[in-house]
Amino acid sequence: MRRVLSFFLLCFLSFCIPTFAADYHEQLVLRPLPLSALLASFNFRSNTSLSAFEAHNYRFFPRSLGQILQHAGTRELHLRFSLGRWDAESWGARPWDGAKEGGTGVELWAWLEAETEEEADHKWLTLTNALSGLFCASLNFIDGTRTTRPVMSFRPEGNHPSSNSTNMHLLYGVLPREVVCTENLTPFLKLLPCKGKAGIATLLDGHKLFDASWQSMAIDVRPVCVPGEECVLEIEQTIDMVLDIDRSLRPRDNPIPRPPPGHELKCDTSKPYHSDDTCYPAVYGANQDWTLAQIFGRPMQGICPLADPTVPPVCLHVPDSRSVYSSAGVREIKNKDGLSRCFEVEPAADLDVVLPRVESEGEAAPTLAESIVRPETPSLYAERSFTGYGQERGGVQTILRNPSPDKEVEFVYMESLPWFMRIYLHTLQARVDGPSTDQESLIDEVYYRPALDRARGTQLELRMRVPPASTVFLTYDFEKSILRYTEYPPDANRGFDVAAAVITILDDGKGGTGSASVSSDKHTSSNLRTTTLLLSLPTPDFSMPYNVIIFTSTAIALAFGGMFNILVRRFVAADEGPEVSLKRLKRGIQTKLGSLFSKFGKASIKKNE
Amino acid sequence: MAETTTDSVLVTESVAKYDGAETARKQPPPEKPADVRRRSLVIVSFWLIVLCLGLPIWWQTTTIYRAKLPLDDMLDWAEGRACRPVFPLRISVEANDLQQQEAQNLLRLTQHALDDLNDFSGHHLRLQLSPPGRQNESAEIEDTSALTIRLLPGDSPASALHPYSSILDITYPPNSVPTQTSSSSALATYIAGQLRSTFAEEQAIISYLLSTTSFSNEQRPQGLTPEAAESLAKRTTRSLKYSPTYHLTFSLFTGGHQPSSWDIEAAVDEFMRPVLDVLTPIHNFTIDTQIQLYAAPSVQSQVLNKEDLSSFVNAAEWPLSPSIGGAPTVNFIAYIGNQTIGLPPTDQDASDGALATSQSWLVPQWGTVYLLPLPEDTTHVSVLTLKQPLLTFTSHLLSLLGTPQSGSLPLRLSTLSRIRSADLLLRASSTLGSLARLSLALPSISIPSSVADGVAKTMAHLRLACDTLGTPEALYHARVAEQEAERAFFEKSMVGQLYFPDEHKIAVYLPLLGPVGVPLVMGLLNELKAWRKRRREALEKGKAKKDT
Repeated sequence: MRRVLSFFLLCFLSFCIPTFAADYHEQLVLRPLPLSALLASFNFRSNTSLSAFEAHNYRFFPRSLGQILQHAGTRELHLRFSLGRWDAESWGARPWDGAKEGGTGVELWAWLEAETEEEADHKWLTLTNALSGLFCASLNFIDGTRTTRPVMSFRPEGNHPSSNSTNMHLLYGVLPREVVCTENLTPFLKLLPCKGKAGIATLLDGHKLFDASWQSMAIDVRPVCVPGEECVLEIEQTIDMVLDIDRSLRPRDNPIPRPPPGHELKCDTSKPYHSDDTCYPAVYGANQDWTLAQIFGRPMQGICPLADPTVPPVCLHVPDSRSVYSSAGVREIKNKDGLSRCFEVEPAADLDVVLPRVESEGEAAPTLAESIVRPETPSLYAERSFTGYGQERGGVQTILRNPSPDKEVEFVYMESLPWFMRIYLHTLQARVDGPSTDQESLIDEVYYRPALDRARGTQLELRMRVPPASTVFLTYDFEKSILRYTEYPPDANRGFDVAAAVITILDDGKGGTGSASVSSDKHTSSNLRTTTLLLSLPTPDFSMPYNVIIFTSTAIALAFGGMFNILVRRFVAADEGPEVSLKRLKRGIQTKLGSLFSKFGKASIKKNE
Repeated sequence: MAETTTDSVLVTESVAKYDGAETARKQPPPEKPADVRRRSLVIVSFWLIVLCLGLPIWWQTTTIYRAKLPLDDMLDWAEGRACRPVFPLRISVEANDLQQQEAQNLLRLTQHALDDLNDFSGHHLRLQLSPPGRQNESAEIEDTSALTIRLLPGDSPASALHPYSSILDITYPPNSVPTQTSSSSALATYIAGQLRSTFAEEQAIISYLLSTTSFSNEQRPQGLTPEAAESLAKRTTRSLKYSPTYHLTFSLFTGGHQPSSWDIEAAVDEFMRPVLDVLTPIHNFTIDTQIQLYAAPSVQSQVLNKEDLSSFVNAAEWPLSPSIGGAPTVNFIAYIGNQTIGLPPTDQDASDGALATSQSWLVPQWGTVYLLPLPEDTTHVSVLTLKQPLLTFTSHLLSLLGTPQSGSLPLRLSTLSRIRSADLLLRASSTLGSLARLSLALPSISIPSSVADGVAKTMAHLRLACDTLGTPEALYHARVAEQEAERAFFEKSMVGQLYFPDEHKIAVYLPLLGPVGVPLVMGLLNELKAWRKRRREALEKGKAKKDT
């Protein structure tokens, strides 16, 4: 009876299962940027129902990661691997409003379910160690000194209906020194249902990805609950990279840049002095033709059959006026806004997209600026640098510029500094430089958790505002402490990396991002991060311990020997003491030798006899 | 050194006298006795400070803490002197159709026959008569006895092992029951022979386990042939290390993108869960399942030969990373592919033939791979398709856990628990021995007190396990002992021993001890010399006085 029942149940289940087919979705968005850069955003998203996750049945969700999350009691996880600098001045606003990027190095933040802080710390340790093994990164070096508990900066992105806020602990750790490389990409691709074997993931190649001007790999795991449906656990993997088209087009067999021969030089022919032997270089690589296969080193091989068929796999953001060619079996769909188009691919076909050169001759020739979609202006520019000199003190200056002519920007500025950088909070100062004459304080709220030597780092969170069309200089001073001999890294003279500052721009709740339904009245509208800093500390000579041993020993021996001799010896006149002179030494040696000779002589005489 | 400096300081006034000094040097004025005394005191006090303050401080700061370990007891355990592993198995006999007297007599004779047959003193079978009319409470009896024999009257002697419970049915012709006076009986011999063959495998395994360790010789059975030992060795190396919990990972690998779903949960519930439930007293299991597409094996050929089987699993590409949390993982892989296994039939012995079917093979201490050929366009794997793979996985799981191959399932499992407790006991003892030898071999290794605690706990539990061998508590105690022993052996602060070579020590000590030690020692020697001289003079003076 039981067998029959279960058989029916299974038949029923097998009918249900195909409905889950849309649980995986992937898309690549290409967006040419000024100065011949190309932003490629890869997005992979898969869902699993929470019940299947809790029963350890993994289909699209990677088992290796799922096990770690369950073992460490993680409710929401965000992991970032980043490299390079986003050039906001020329590239404009960041992709995904900065939500999917991290500071240089590795960043990890997670909401852990725990009753007490100690338990949360313990789970965090488990989590970092396990992730370190999974992603071949030094995440296990995120210890107490690199972990903070942000108060204002981060909000959960997922829905957590079952847990109240008291047993959810947010921990944030960052490793600015970590060099992101191919060994981190391989495990990242292994987490995808189609691996790197089909779909847009086939374009991902370590050589191209880590050659980019800026790249960020992100993994976000969060529970998502839609009212009336079962909650699902969503894993979103994102790779954003800004490729330099000129650099990417360099042929593979000739990767070393050499001066091009004269006839290949791109010259600005409009200059009056242009001739055969005079060349004014044309605007830096602005007008290149490229194909997808050239840029990424290979064409896209088919589509991932598991992916949601309603989502076109590749989209390109160029104005409709520009002509784009695609390979056979590919259908182009233009979006209504006139600024982007998407490509639908037949399952087995390879996809290649050709973006020809913009014709600059002719009557209605479009200008170069019109051939690309103009990037959005970011709501805030931020730059951070060190000031001061010497090995004892220093300062940090952050320049925050609000480009908007009429809108004030409110944000949370978070620094997590290493403990050996002791900041003087009283020197914290925000100074406006701009038309605004508003004299009220720019800093609304300060959350400061001072460092403990060798136990935890400084955490500084500021909620502040920048008035319209003005620049704010945020400065503070700090003292450099001297480390112990064993605390220096192997290449101590390189300096110490200081993690990027995280800037979370707050919104009044009007235009917050869709999925994040935060209970507080201020929504996170976008994120940005400054660059990391390189702090140089006084570095000792590492043969020091032996020098110290020898030096102190010599000093002690000198002092002791002198004192001991003065105490123990008897002082007499020179003629009263035992005779010490060359003559006496000579005589002593002579008598000794004489006795030896006489013995020898006697022996030889005896022999002769 | 000081002498020359005083000389050079005082040399100015004595320059003129140097010519005559060769013949008659001025003697320094005699020293005051107070000065001599003071000098002796100075030297003595320096030496006292060095010996009473310096040495203890140096000793205190550089000495390595070594907790006291009961080394002799530990070595006793390791060499099997502390425990004589004995497995007294109680076998209850139900003979409801026999008179009490007759039954007792039969029991006595059978026990005799058993003792005669047995050549291995560690493994005892003890017969006891269960009171008649208690069949209904047989569950209660099962707790204490390893096997129940039901004697039923019948036509000819025959025996049948109950497949789902530990009951051995023996039928006997009524006339073969021995009389009160007979000293031997065919029935008793028959029963003894049946019992012995039932427990033969367990005996062989336990005696093999004992023979591989350094447990004392007189317990070693002689009945183990080299071939039997070899097959047992094969089986032991194949089985996983004992752990209270195992993670079972079921993975569906396919080279393309289909199928991408399977009914594994239902299939496990139907085909594997019963066995797992039975194993619960010995092991806990957690189950997870995964599907991996576009997974290519390391071996591309269509027909897999023996070498290919060992390298089929693509460890670099397939995400089969061991689970976190300490418990070992058993991998069960269903690979969608139509490869076949081509093994020369002579290449296998009988036990291997049972394990390697034409579609699956067992990877020792790791898991199982099952090749599942499916039509090209299958998108979903149903429960019925998974039946054969899961039955294979189940039987392989039992063999990976080290379950004996013969006998009924309950009997095999109770045997498994006895084998495991013996195995753990031996393992914990040998770990203790290694720890003892390690602490003897490395005098500079530090032994924190937690290690001593662990050793004490291990020995206490080993003692308990040894006393209760053959019962379920033995497994628990042996498990605790093994855990504690491992923890003590792999104590972090002990493993991370700092290595200071002797040259290093010389480089640190010599710059200080050389310049300080030389004046101290020279001062002491001079003082001793002066003291001896003074004593001799005093003696001579005394003699002279006596003479005068």
